[in-house]
Amino acid sequence: MDAHSEMLLNQFKDSLPKYKIMRDAVMKLLKETISKNGLFVSSCSSRIKTEKSLAGKLELKGLKYRSLNDITDLLGVRVITFYSNEVDKIAALAERIFDIDWTKSVDKRKMYGSDRFGYMSLHYICRIPKSLYKDPENPEINEIPFELQMRTVLQHAWASIYHDTGYKTDVEVPTEYLRGLARLAGLLEIADEEFKNIRTDLGEYRRRIRALVKNGSFKDIPLNGDSFANYMELEPFSKLNEKIASINNAEIEQVSIRPYLEILIGMQLKTLGDLEDFIKESSEYAYQLAQHQIGGTDLDIISSNIGIQNLCIAHLLKHGHGLKGLEWFYDQLYGKQPRNAQRAKRTYQQAKKLAIIKEDLNA
Amino acid sequence: MIIEKEAKDEELILNLKGRLDTSTSPQLDEELKKSLSGVKSLILNLKELEYLSSAGLRIILSAQKTMNRQGKMKICNVNDAIMEVFDMTGFADILTIE
Repeated sequence: MDAHSEMLLNQFKDSLPKYKIMRDAVMKLLKETISKNGLFVSSCSSRIKTEKSLAGKLELKGLKYRSLNDITDLLGVRVITFYSNEVDKIAALAERIFDIDWTKSVDKRKMYGSDRFGYMSLHYICRIPKSLYKDPENPEINEIPFELQMRTVLQHAWASIYHDTGYKTDVEVPTEYLRGLARLAGLLEIADEEFKNIRTDLGEYRRRIRALVKNGSFKDIPLNGDSFANYMELEPFSKLNEKIASINNAEIEQVSIRPYLEILIGMQLKTLGDLEDFIKESSEYAYQLAQHQIGGTDLDIISSNIGIQNLCIAHLLKHGHGLKGLEWFYDQLYGKQPRNAQRAKRTYQQAKKLAIIKEDLNA
Repeated sequence: MIIEKEAKDEELILNLKGRLDTSTSPQLDEELKKSLSGVKSLILNLKELEYLSSAGLRIILSAQKTMNRQGKMKICNVNDAIMEVFDMTGFADILTIE
């Protein structure tokens, strides 16, 4: 190593505490800004170049650098996003908080033209502006550049595997393997695009379902996780729960209703309209069952699932599914266990007294 | 009510005997407040529990909430009468009962 490079390396060793202060400041600013703007990223990481790595770089092209600040990746920060359009959103945030050196920043996503595929990443060379960070003991921190890399999870996967091959540039890679890597880069670009489209379409679907639920157009809405969650905001079981609670003047403990979605779909309810009918048709029996069960007790606390639980029981019995239907219901709710047969038998006997059971098709 | 306690590392087993009702539930509440710190696995053994009232149910639900934050809770050896209480109040699906 020449004397100039050795001087730069020694300067770097002496400056390490400053780089650590700077790294913490950059990461704090970046993470706070990402979070404040409601973005969720896969990761946000940083590294300070090791002395060994810098020595290697200086060995190769030490004369290229007049001062340490000419080496722009001594501090490297990387933000990995889930979706390709979020790379640009992170870049916009970075432009807002950092001073960007546009002469040295490069959008490697645009390097390949329209017919080649390879490394895809957006690299900004940044500095922390004094308006956002001031350290009187280390004022030079605002002059030190750092590299901010932004790319998607899939772009990162490709870059990591490429890096693992040990090659630094495409010209070093044997042609047949270079073609394989390029094909994979193309494939991952398509996957990134598809993930982005799915997310955009899902967002649109959810907005549409929300609007339909709000308008009460239940017959047109398929029963699924999104529609169920929106429908639950209307608290469709609260009236029945309150009626059941009034039996013993009970407190209602709120619990998650999610496990019931699979059961409702298993009961062949296909739309929110079916779910509305299910509530209307079986509420009275569901209430009677609860009255029979807890009416003679001093139990004054019930779960917010009591209404839907009894509705399912009443619905199954009204539609002739009998004992087997109840066993199926308990298997779905609690997982298969020997006790479920006994549960079903007990509930069946109670329901018999209430004339809920029309005809047991399985009997 | 008698509460027998078995503690090993981060596991706590409470064997409940007798009646868990309005008059005895403060005893269980006190025991849980005293013992749950650092516990990752709580087992409530109800083998010899004869009766469970709303007051007892509230203590069990409160213990479940605490354990949701710091580990897991299991209820075992539940007799038919007490299982019926869990079933008809609608809590059986949020508790892990073996």
